[in-house]
Amino acid sequence: MRGSRRDFLAGMAATSPPGEATRPAGRRPRIAALTTVYYKYSHSQHIIDRFLDGYGWESRHHRPPMDVVSLYVEQVGDKDLSRERAQRHPGMRIYPTIAEALTQAGSDLAVDGVLLIGEHGHYPVNEKGQKLYPRYEYFQQVVEVYRQSGKTAPLFNDKHLSWNWDYAREMADTAKQMGFGFMAGSSLPVTWRQPSIDLPRGVELEEAVSIWAGGIDGGDIHALEALQSIVERRRGGETGVRAVQAVRGERFWQALESGSWEGGGWDRQLLEAALCRSNQLNPARATYSNVFPSNRDLRRLAPDAYAYRFEYGDGLRASIIQFQAAPKQKGGGVVGDCNVAARLKGGDVFSVLFYLPYYSMRNFFSPQVHHIESLFLTGKAPYPLERTLLTTGMTAAGIESLYQKQQRLETPHLAIRYEPTRESTFWRS
Amino acid sequence: MLTRRTFLEAVGGATLVSTRPTQAESSVPRKIAIITTIWKYLSHAQHMGDRFLVGYPRDGKWHEPPIQVVSLYVDQKPEGDLSGQRAAEHGFKIYRSIAETLRCGTDKLAVDAVVIIGEHGSYPTNEKGQKLYPRHEFFQEVVRVFEQSRRSVPVFNDKHLSYSWKKARQMVSDSKRLGFPFLAGSSLPVTWRLPPVEIPYGAEVEEALMLGVGGSDAMDYHALEAMQCMVERRKGGETGIRSVQMLEGEAVWKAGDQGRWSKRLLEAAFSRSDSLQGDSQLDSRPQDLAHNGQLPTLAKNPAAYFIERNDGLRTTLLMLNGAMRDFTFAARLRAGEIVSTQFFLPPTPNVTYSACLVAQIERMIVSGRAPYPVERTQITSAMLDRCLDSKVAGHRRLETPELDVSYRAPQ
Repeated sequence: MRGSRRDFLAGMAATSPPGEATRPAGRRPRIAALTTVYYKYSHSQHIIDRFLDGYGWESRHHRPPMDVVSLYVEQVGDKDLSRERAQRHPGMRIYPTIAEALTQAGSDLAVDGVLLIGEHGHYPVNEKGQKLYPRYEYFQQVVEVYRQSGKTAPLFNDKHLSWNWDYAREMADTAKQMGFGFMAGSSLPVTWRQPSIDLPRGVELEEAVSIWAGGIDGGDIHALEALQSIVERRRGGETGVRAVQAVRGERFWQALESGSWEGGGWDRQLLEAALCRSNQLNPARATYSNVFPSNRDLRRLAPDAYAYRFEYGDGLRASIIQFQAAPKQKGGGVVGDCNVAARLKGGDVFSVLFYLPYYSMRNFFSPQVHHIESLFLTGKAPYPLERTLLTTGMTAAGIESLYQKQQRLETPHLAIRYEPTRESTFWRS
Repeated sequence: MLTRRTFLEAVGGATLVSTRPTQAESSVPRKIAIITTIWKYLSHAQHMGDRFLVGYPRDGKWHEPPIQVVSLYVDQKPEGDLSGQRAAEHGFKIYRSIAETLRCGTDKLAVDAVVIIGEHGSYPTNEKGQKLYPRHEFFQEVVRVFEQSRRSVPVFNDKHLSYSWKKARQMVSDSKRLGFPFLAGSSLPVTWRLPPVEIPYGAEVEEALMLGVGGSDAMDYHALEAMQCMVERRKGGETGIRSVQMLEGEAVWKAGDQGRWSKRLLEAAFSRSDSLQGDSQLDSRPQDLAHNGQLPTLAKNPAAYFIERNDGLRTTLLMLNGAMRDFTFAARLRAGEIVSTQFFLPPTPNVTYSACLVAQIERMIVSGRAPYPVERTQITSAMLDRCLDSKVAGHRRLETPELDVSYRAPQ
């Protein structure tokens, strides 16, 4: 039987990192949640609700052993749920600023963990198509309280660290310098997989692809995090990325036709493997409910497709292929789910679907919250922040290459090395 | 207990796909006949039949089965019929009778396997709510050709063998008399599970609870067979059914209060649902539906199917329309451990669970052996039929000595 969360937590050293606030034994951790919005289907609703109302987990309705005591919501509109939540959970108070949420309107840090969820809401989009979510700005306000209080608390940041590489680097460095547990990223690496497998650790990999449905920046990070959660397990661990090239328009279709990395595209067989794990493969022919698409079909279904091709430091090559339909295209798109395939040295192909339960509860947030709980209880990130630091940089670099007319760009700043966790962290129990 | 690995081995789920060519598969395709009620978009015949024609995703490859559909019988051609188009495009013939379909215009059996898909179409419904699909009648015509040709080939029957436990028993006994491989049933036992677990083989099971949704006798059948594929693995194997009872409405909740089904298992089964309704539908919040008091207001017309086994095991299906939209299961083992999972149904139009089922049909056709016993489907057909007898008999408990179907599940 796989280790339960409790076994896992019991096995972790119970020491706090230096500088971390110490919580008296027996007191439940107090959590502050900082978010841009709080409405139905927003990330904050999915994540914070799980702390407030519990969630189904391993044959139980699990209630996290911690309390969200303070909430900051930047944008409160017609669809807002934060007021209803605060009313139903009077232990959670809404504060008008981040500092007050963290100090519970006192002078010192008064929480044992911070949720930073900067997703959704009205924010400007820059010329490259990046939405300027204020994650870095929130983070800076958090560490300002940490500094003033002389103590810290573990922090979770939803999705990529920032749209801006320099910001992201600074966030990661700050957390390391101040010594607090910092966890981030997408739910894709930790959701169900079909089949329920991980790449065997230490295998030699030659090439990998990750496919999904597009969305510059917001969609890219998910496809990249899924990809990275697989390829980071290869021999030698992660070594970082040395160059990127985006392809779009006619160059994308030439890349697809080439059927190989050498031809400027990606391995045809890896694309087939990824398409063949999908449960949401848009039927290319009327009256057929599940058929394999030709390249012509792909072009018709996803005319706005694009890809980022990455060269890793150790020679691995990987592409994310975003089969994006045209705006308002009826019946467009190729896949509704994210799938990854990788070729091992010797030719064997590994492929897997990252399954996101699509009903209204969006339960793929449950394994993510499960890992956040472990961050708050142990003070340590359950998987390396460097994964998300790297994918943040890969996302920004891919977008930059698109913006610079699909030029190949060297990425010396992405020479990020890290070791993946020994145990798999995806949802399988 | 490394259940994930044993499960993957059991279903043959390749984790790494070799790109080197294998010589295992025969180069001569097997010829099959499809016998169906209708072939329309999104009908079972279309989902399953098309996979033999255009292939299907399997183990990370687009798999083209070594199988050729050579003939088709289609009982009804309503608006939207696709059979003529498929026959023309894929080069097979549609015959007017089942016998001709199996003989392909000759005077004896001319196919290597038969796939019967008697689902959808206009057929009468009886007083028990059962739709009288002519699966048994189709099967009997197939058997007659086998007898006349003095040769039998593997047969697959989609879903329950028949609405009638007697007809189902007759079908299984015919297959044994003539000695042909016979596979049947729902796709739920062979679809993906979340998480991918089984009851450990030979474990002592104390109690089992299945949750399902949909109408009778279409969807309760799927739920019952999903439960059956779990509990058949218990110590001693399946021993048959001692009694059945179906309750509806308020009586279902009262039975829970009396301990006739387990609230602990209800919590476990709900923990595997991705689709709780009510507040979760309203604003997406998760909820403790086993304890928050909302269940009776959501599931306004619940039904409970109590199946008591000859070895004493009590198993229950709750149909909870309005409370959820997926199929989940929980069982308590003697050791105290609770095993729970969701039988995952990937969305329309791909419905890749049908690819999972076709992979099993293909295994039988290619190997000549049914990958799991048809008795699973026989006993499930029978328990459903008798539960519906209980329903129309004032929800009385019925002794069922005639359901003494015992069998062993594959390990």
